Amino acid sequence: MAQNPYRPALGTLVGVKDLATDIKLFQVALDNRQEGRGGFQPQPSYRPGQFAFVSAFGVGEAPFCLTSTTRRSQALEFAVNKIGTVTEALHRLGEGDVVGVRGPFGNWFPMEEMRGKHIILLGGGIGGAPLRPVIHTILDDRANYGKLTILWAARLPSLLIFREEFDSWRAAPDTELHLTVDQGDETWKGNVGLITELLEKVAPSPEEAVTITCGPPIMIKFVMLTLAKLGFAPEQMIMTLEAKMKCGMGKCGRCNLGEKYVCTDGPVFSYAEVRSFLESY
Amino acid sequence: MKAMSRDRLLAWLEELAGRSTLIGPRIVGEKILYKPVHHSAEIVLDFAKTDLSAKEYFLPSTEAILSVKREKKGFDVEEPSLHGRQIIFGLRPCDARALRVLDALFLNKEPADPYYAERREKTTLIGLACREMGDECFCTSLGLAPDEANDVDLMLTEMAGEYAIRAVTAKGKALLGAAVLQEVEGVPPNPFVRQKQVPILEVGKWPERFDSPFWAHLSDRCLSCRLCTYVCPTCRCFDIRDVELSDKEIERLRAWDSCMAEGYRRIAGGHNPRPAKAERLRNRFYCKFCYYPQDFGPVACVGCGRCIAQCPVNVDAVEVLEGLSAL
Repeated sequence: MAQNPYRPALGTLVGVKDLATDIKLFQVALDNRQEGRGGFQPQPSYRPGQFAFVSAFGVGEAPFCLTSTTRRSQALEFAVNKIGTVTEALHRLGEGDVVGVRGPFGNWFPMEEMRGKHIILLGGGIGGAPLRPVIHTILDDRANYGKLTILWAARLPSLLIFREEFDSWRAAPDTELHLTVDQGDETWKGNVGLITELLEKVAPSPEEAVTITCGPPIMIKFVMLTLAKLGFAPEQMIMTLEAKMKCGMGKCGRCNLGEKYVCTDGPVFSYAEVRSFLESY
Repeated sequence: MKAMSRDRLLAWLEELAGRSTLIGPRIVGEKILYKPVHHSAEIVLDFAKTDLSAKEYFLPSTEAILSVKREKKGFDVEEPSLHGRQIIFGLRPCDARALRVLDALFLNKEPADPYYAERREKTTLIGLACREMGDECFCTSLGLAPDEANDVDLMLTEMAGEYAIRAVTAKGKALLGAAVLQEVEGVPPNPFVRQKQVPILEVGKWPERFDSPFWAHLSDRCLSCRLCTYVCPTCRCFDIRDVELSDKEIERLRAWDSCMAEGYRRIAGGHNPRPAKAERLRNRFYCKFCYYPQDFGPVACVGCGRCIAQCPVNVDAVEVLEGLSAL
């Protein structure tokens, strides 16, 4: 078989870091890109919003968004929440262990079209992972984007991901970071409440703005309603959807929403598109 | 017309079985199934329809897509070499058309599926026309005919104890090779075709029926047993998972999956956009008649009627299609 899209490239874990309770960052250095035989095909480069399958050999593979950018990281980075069999197996691995990676798959955030616009990002829990490469892309190309407003939420303070990057985000020009948790603890001095309440308080203007939302479906639903209330049009509301896909190429049938496939038509959609789907996410 | 007598046909099949993998209709317990044939005497020539289609020989119910060896440091990933050439004899026109439907997704939509593509390329199809439509058959409503020859390499049609034989493709011609044929007079009789047509709504008429209470009513009796998807020649959903054969050996398997199962569409964290039976049953029909044609071209139903014959609670596709069009 000359070209086998099911064949993963092998990669070594060069870093495994705790991001939050049960959430780890895995940094994978590809040993052999196995160009032309499937594997990971990074040409010209993967984009913010795309995803790849990571294999814990012996247990299986699952899709994860690429949370790194090619500019900042040689290694491919994935934020993995321990929530099922594959993720549990990945969490048992450490530096030096070998995993499989195939991808990248899916479409990406319209970073070029977003240039010159004000950007509002809304991330809930592990849903912050696909937004991190957007933040990095904007901060590394700061002059080309308008104001960056980040709303970052989690159920508990211990579930906020990428905390060690917060200071650098806050320090960036024309950038705001707003945090909230559903439930605080004794150390938490920040906002307590749902991301929708925070969004109403921050009340970003829809003028020349684009929003990107990622989080659990229930959060996305209510964020869309709140954004609409603030005057955002469905075309200004971008989201990335999740599905337990198996192939990434529209073949396994797992991820359809009506006639759309999350893997090939998405995972990035505007609310205008999602609203037109026969089936609700 | 060129033809072979029944005895001559069986002798030719015996010869084919000797030099290639031959798959044909065989009696297995109470079922008739496409199975490997070693001697032509094992083949059933007089049958209505096999209980399962030949999908298994292109998209096996379970297949190893990778074998992975655990090395001292890391893994060695290998792709299994697929079996050699195969000939499928006695393929009914509906099952041959089902392969065209699968081709639209597995071959024509980039990237091609390498396992399916290799099996398809290495297989020669010998069709056998139906003499009549069976009780549950509705192929003619989907633009097929019981003697449709366009989807096979060689077509056989029974006529008065002889088998009229026609090479449809170069592959078919090559397979026929030097087989001894005789000239017979006349043309094969037309198969018995039921006049009743099942209404197949065009793609654009489906969306307005999406929110109908019809689906909840219909799904009351559905058991979510998934049988309809497994016996369907065009259902193709699959799962991929690993099994550890030993400390050192791992196989990555691909296996048939079913959209009728509750957990099928559930995402990590537990959210399920299709938790109700009605939503899953509806998705199956929309996939076949609305989504698949939009995404890949053909309608994903060939009217074989197996889902009707084998549903334990009589969810009847013809009733569904009639009921929908009457809404």
